Amino acid sequence: MTELRRSTPRFKWGIFAVHAALILACVINIYPLLRIISVSLRPGNRLISTDLALIPDGATLLSYVSVIKNTNFLLWLWNSLIITVATSLIGVILASTAGYAFSRFRFPGNKLGLTLLLGTQMIPAGMLLLPLFLMVMKLGLINTYLGMVIAYSVSSLPFSIWILKGYYDTVPRSLEEAAMVDGTTQFGAFYRIVLPLSTPALAIAFLFNFTAAWNEYLVARVILSNSAKYTWTLGLFELQGQFITQWGMFAAGSVLITIPVLMVFLYSSKWLVSGLTLGSVKG
Amino acid sequence: MASVTFSNVKKIYGDNEVLHKVNLEIQDKEFLILVGPSGCGKSTLLRMLAGLEEISSGEIAIDGQVVNDLPPRDRQLAMVFQDYALYPHMTVEENMSFGLRIRKLPQEEIDSRVMDAANTLQIQKFLKRKPRQLSGGQRQRVAIGRAIVRKPKVFLFDEPLSNLDAKLREEMRVELAKLHKKLGATMVYVTHDQVEAMTLASRIAVMHAGYIQQIGTPIEVYSRPDNIFVAGFIGSPTMNFMDGSLETEGELLYFKNEAMKLRVPFPLCEGAEFDRNAVVLGVRPEDVYTERKLDKNLGDMVRAKVEVVELLGHRKNVYLECGKSRLLATVPALFKTEEAMFLWFDMDRVHLFDKASGKRIC
Ligand SMILES: Nc1ncnc2c1ncn2[C@@H]1O[C@H](COP(=O)(O)OP(=O)(O)OP(=O)(O)O)[C@@H](O)[C@H]1O
Ligand SMILES: [Mg+2]
Repeated sequence: MTELRRSTPRFKWGIFAVHAALILACVINIYPLLRIISVSLRPGNRLISTDLALIPDGATLLSYVSVIKNTNFLLWLWNSLIITVATSLIGVILASTAGYAFSRFRFPGNKLGLTLLLGTQMIPAGMLLLPLFLMVMKLGLINTYLGMVIAYSVSSLPFSIWILKGYYDTVPRSLEEAAMVDGTTQFGAFYRIVLPLSTPALAIAFLFNFTAAWNEYLVARVILSNSAKYTWTLGLFELQGQFITQWGMFAAGSVLITIPVLMVFLYSSKWLVSGLTLGSVKG
Repeated sequence: MASVTFSNVKKIYGDNEVLHKVNLEIQDKEFLILVGPSGCGKSTLLRMLAGLEEISSGEIAIDGQVVNDLPPRDRQLAMVFQDYALYPHMTVEENMSFGLRIRKLPQEEIDSRVMDAANTLQIQKFLKRKPRQLSGGQRQRVAIGRAIVRKPKVFLFDEPLSNLDAKLREEMRVELAKLHKKLGATMVYVTHDQVEAMTLASRIAVMHAGYIQQIGTPIEVYSRPDNIFVAGFIGSPTMNFMDGSLETEGELLYFKNEAMKLRVPFPLCEGAEFDRNAVVLGVRPEDVYTERKLDKNLGDMVRAKVEVVELLGHRKNVYLECGKSRLLATVPALFKTEEAMFLWFDMDRVHLFDKASGKRIC
């Protein structure tokens, strides 16, 4: 008891410090977002003002209306959504099986393969641009969703494989052995036991793929030239005209595109609950 | 149920042979216990039977059918793992019915088997819980339940009780014995605990360094160990060993060393090969007496010095020095110990081994 009492005050200070740091980080993160929202609400004549009020005088939704009405914004959003969701799903499916092979099977090149996968992550994305473009062109997939999905999934696959392999390594092998003695095949044990237990890692891999593809600009720039296939990143920068930049529409678009990401994050947070393996084996 | 045959089974990891030509017949309805020190290959042998480990050479047959190339799911075995290996994302009920659902049994059949097993193991109350909401002992029961519902040809256990505390282990031991009686099933059980082996087994296979050293009923293994290893491994506290030589005087055979000369009242094995000048006498601590008993065939008197005395409650452990050897005698708690004592061995129950080969010679 005395032990507890003595340590409590110090403990509270620790919590205070942690909370202070977290709050600071939140403020730093949220401030630009608030500014964007504020800019998106400004009436057209006061865009370049230095006013710092969050809800500006004469706040209006006109920018939102015009970005939706006067541009192809909804089409760009749709393109992005298709490409991103397909990329994330394919990436997670491929990585979940490849990661399993790397985690469970001993085959020649296991170590080397993992190292090479990690190595690809060290190459700056810009350097991969040309090879990716050539590859997609050779496949005849310029200006197609499929070309984008391929380009995106190959670049995010290595990271997902590492995440999943690392997670599978923590799932006790005896669970699969028990399942196989109980009557499943090796794949059945993977599908019925290991996969359901790996939802946190699957969710992380999915989110990583999702945000990476959702925000990507460079690769999209070289692969998509037809404005009907533009993703929102290309579309929004289109608004950054040569002579005037439509900051109001730009801001309104930016606010709108965070909505799908936000929804995906909120939805997947329930899958991120870890500690599912607790209690399977002793202790 | 089923019988199991291992013939010339080897297991090689890389260039490390961990099991050498194991031959073992497990009869129908038998409770066979594989016992041996850590690393001797017990788990490997069991896992090869389960199909979880490849067989390097030799054959394993279940009911006469060679199963070397059958995957685990087709061998109709059930296994209880040391760490229980319960599926964490399933309830107790789902854990137990998993194998039956995979095999697409009708739902009524599944339900009734799960209920039966739950009743037998008294885990009805936990059926809706997840494994993490159970204590170690309860998880253990669920793991056993998951095996029972399958109605397998053979039950495999790999040190199922080693994660339980002493009291629970004793309880589960009794329950396992009951269960074996009730199910009348063939069971293969791995442990390094020789008390479990002695109390549960129909037959014990003692393993050491990748070899099966001896197979026999608990009494056989205890009272006629084939070699020094088995003699030392089975029995608690362990057997006392004394180096010495064998000498004949006239018709009579004597075991001699610097501290004793004992007449050996039984004949040696015919054809046993050994070096008369290097033999080992084995005496269990409970066969060492500190006073004459007329109803025992006690040999000649031996003089020893007392080193340490441990009181256990009903008995006392007396550690003695006798020539170059150390001896342990367990004596009644009331016995008064002095610094120097006289001892007698029950000569009907001593063992003689060849020192070089370790083999029994009497
Ligand atoms: N995958 C493996 N690769 C190489 N050697 C192994 C492997 N698995 C086991 N061994 C070796 O095989 C031998 C037997 O191991 P096994 O697990 O069967 O021992 P055990 O008798 O079950 O021991 P314990 O009582 O500690 O469980 C050990 O020497 C071990 O080092
Ligand atoms: Mg083992």
